[in-house]
Amino acid sequence: MKQTLHSATLDNGITILGEHLPDLESVAVAFVVAAGGVHDPARRCGLATLSGEMCLRGAGGRSSRRIVEDLESAGAQWAHGVSGTHSSYTGAMVARQLPVVLPIYADILRRPLLPAGELTAARQMVLQNLAALEDDPAHRALAALQRIHCPAPWGMPTEGLTADVEAIAIGDVRAFVATHQQPRGMIVSIAGRIDWDDVVARIDALLGDWSPGPDVPVVDGPRGPATCHVPHDSQQTHIALGWSVPPYRDDASHEATAALSILGGGASSRLFTEVRERRGLCYTVSAGYQTRRHFATAACYAGTSAERAQETLDVMLAEIDRLPGSLTEEELDRVKARVKSGLVMQQESSAARAAAIARQWYHLGRMQTLAEELERYDRLSVPALEAWLAANPPSDLSVVSLGREPLEVPRALPA
Amino acid sequence: MPFQHERLDNGLDVIAETSDCAVSASVGFFVLTGARDESDDLWGASHFLEHMVFKGTAEISGDDINRRFDAMGATVNAFTSEEDTVYYASVLPERQDEAVELLARMMRPALRTEDFETEKLVILEEIRMYDDQPPFGADDRCRAAFFGRHPLARSVLGSVDSIRGLPVDAMRDYHRRRYAPGTMVLAASGAVDFPALVAAARRLCDDWEPVPTPERIVPAAPRAAVRPGIDRIVRPAAALGYAVSMVAGPGEHDPDRHAARLLAILLGDSSGSRLYWDLVDTGEAEQAACIHEDFLDAGLFVTQLSCDPDDVAALTARIADIYAAAPGDITPEEFERARNKLASRVVLGGERPRRRLFEVGLDWAHTRIHRSVADTLHIVESLSLDDVRRVLAAWPLDAPAATVIAGPAA
Repeated sequence: MKQTLHSATLDNGITILGEHLPDLESVAVAFVVAAGGVHDPARRCGLATLSGEMCLRGAGGRSSRRIVEDLESAGAQWAHGVSGTHSSYTGAMVARQLPVVLPIYADILRRPLLPAGELTAARQMVLQNLAALEDDPAHRALAALQRIHCPAPWGMPTEGLTADVEAIAIGDVRAFVATHQQPRGMIVSIAGRIDWDDVVARIDALLGDWSPGPDVPVVDGPRGPATCHVPHDSQQTHIALGWSVPPYRDDASHEATAALSILGGGASSRLFTEVRERRGLCYTVSAGYQTRRHFATAACYAGTSAERAQETLDVMLAEIDRLPGSLTEEELDRVKARVKSGLVMQQESSAARAAAIARQWYHLGRMQTLAEELERYDRLSVPALEAWLAANPPSDLSVVSLGREPLEVPRALPA
Repeated sequence: MPFQHERLDNGLDVIAETSDCAVSASVGFFVLTGARDESDDLWGASHFLEHMVFKGTAEISGDDINRRFDAMGATVNAFTSEEDTVYYASVLPERQDEAVELLARMMRPALRTEDFETEKLVILEEIRMYDDQPPFGADDRCRAAFFGRHPLARSVLGSVDSIRGLPVDAMRDYHRRRYAPGTMVLAASGAVDFPALVAAARRLCDDWEPVPTPERIVPAAPRAAVRPGIDRIVRPAAALGYAVSMVAGPGEHDPDRHAARLLAILLGDSSGSRLYWDLVDTGEAEQAACIHEDFLDAGLFVTQLSCDPDDVAALTARIADIYAAAPGDITPEEFERARNKLASRVVLGGERPRRRLFEVGLDWAHTRIHRSVADTLHIVESLSLDDVRRVLAAWPLDAPAATVIAGPAA
């Protein structure tokens, strides 16, 4: 598996990452700035999301409409998203369109007009999204889990809180963009059919003379209560469970993610087998890994009819308890096979690779080759996993239920 | 991307679109069976059967199937629609034989009573899950209002009562009749070894009995909503209002379906479309989209709206105005942009073997035609504004629609 990875750093601190994928016709680019939801000031939850939306509403010499029309005329499949840590402007296109598309992103990043006249519409858009998420019970259960399990402000909902979004003024947006949408911590990642030297020259010409502002650290606050019930008038009850695991940058994250995968990562996982296949308790049950740079959460989810929710929770907790001491070679081999396929198949998507190398740079400060990542998983053994689990059993468990009735958490949760 | 085709003696077609650039192989069985092939007492059987196929054969348990696919590192899944049931796996090329073998064996499931009863509970949970989610069943109810007594009116999941009442023997009989080699295609895309694929098919599928399959029921599909007007679903806890509307459009055999797809992008894509600028960009609607769906003998333009529950009526009227104005004022520039978007989707989608598997497999299952990415791109690039205008004239978007509104109040 031969890979061609590149990186360069501009004088103002912007990191440019590249992966050459010569078999593809496409190029994908991601402009990732450290302007995510954790930077929302107190009582302004949702400011990062609203600011990102405002940046698309006119930039440089382009109106809101022109930005979209210029991107789409070039056949660019574009998107904008805000996570807890970052605001990302992304696009995938046929390779020859890259020179047309890059200057549009440079305008959005450096020269957003942030017109006061657009604030009402942009705010409404954010509020509409909040209302839509209210109608998504699975999302609400997992968001409530983040809220109680993560230290503030990391568990706050990036999409915002209605009252806070309603209070945001244009001055808040302008201050946020000026402070956070800046070269410090910014990553430009690009993958596909690229000419690396040409990419660096173009991005340098567009962003190289942009002066960085000061770094803005985030201070961790307290965590929420261990359990929480969200009343909701629905047929199904939604269950979300979480506990702390090592972050991606920690070498032990491989042991943790492999154990999690055995618990709830595929159709042959413990949770899928015991909760769905054996008992028919639900349609959806899974376990996932959500990492920040300095901490990570294992999160399990299931949705089931109210009258069978207690049994579902009990079986999930029993499977979590049963995990240490019971792992098998076959289970670990399946994890390795799944990891290998997933990594290799990423090579077929320029967008997936652009996102992956940006993520690695943020978490590790470097890019990893696929071979290196595979090799780390191949080295995992059952004894090593068991030793890690014995030293780090799932503890600090948080439990959320969303539905008509609260559930009984049947045993004292480890503190 | 070379295309290859072989037919077994029992009628099973084996096809592949191979690519030297791909690093994975996707393989799948495409079964010409879906909700439209069910009778009242079999409502939901196609989808339920799709679940049961994963519960194992006489020799292989359901747990074994899950374990074997995970051990291959396969991305495996299945879906059921009104017209098709599709089982697929994406694997690294060295796992092709294993994946094909397991999928092929699964096509002859044991359909054990005990598994049937457990899986029934899972299906009932799936029905409840969708019932709790936007648009709260408005899409199925709207399709039923549009198609009336036509078989396409039937929802894929079935109802709580139809699933509870389905006997296992009826499913066994349904499987025997519908999973016949003449109504199935084994398709592959990506880094595929075609001779190995054919050899595997001969070894594993040659003894499948060529049962005469009953002709698909194709009564004349309605060219207009059978029950136009507004129906309502009340969900007191809903935060938004949701509206789904359907009018007729070109079907799968109509050459104008490409222009219809382009028209839907121009009017109602998720960004840069007329509905987007008029309703979403302004913050009045959470979503306002127009989608073209096609079936064997029918097509639909589906409009989806979500917004403040109090605004549903007013915004529905605004959408009607936008549709009514469309025949007179589409500009060459916006036509060009929509065509570029469509072309870009064809090219970028063509890079993913799994996406190609669905296109190649469904095209072949329905029409026995293979269209390469280049062929489709050529069709898209040949489209003109006149094609779009012709679609608008033949299939007026402001025709009387079947509409279902779901939200907190009636």
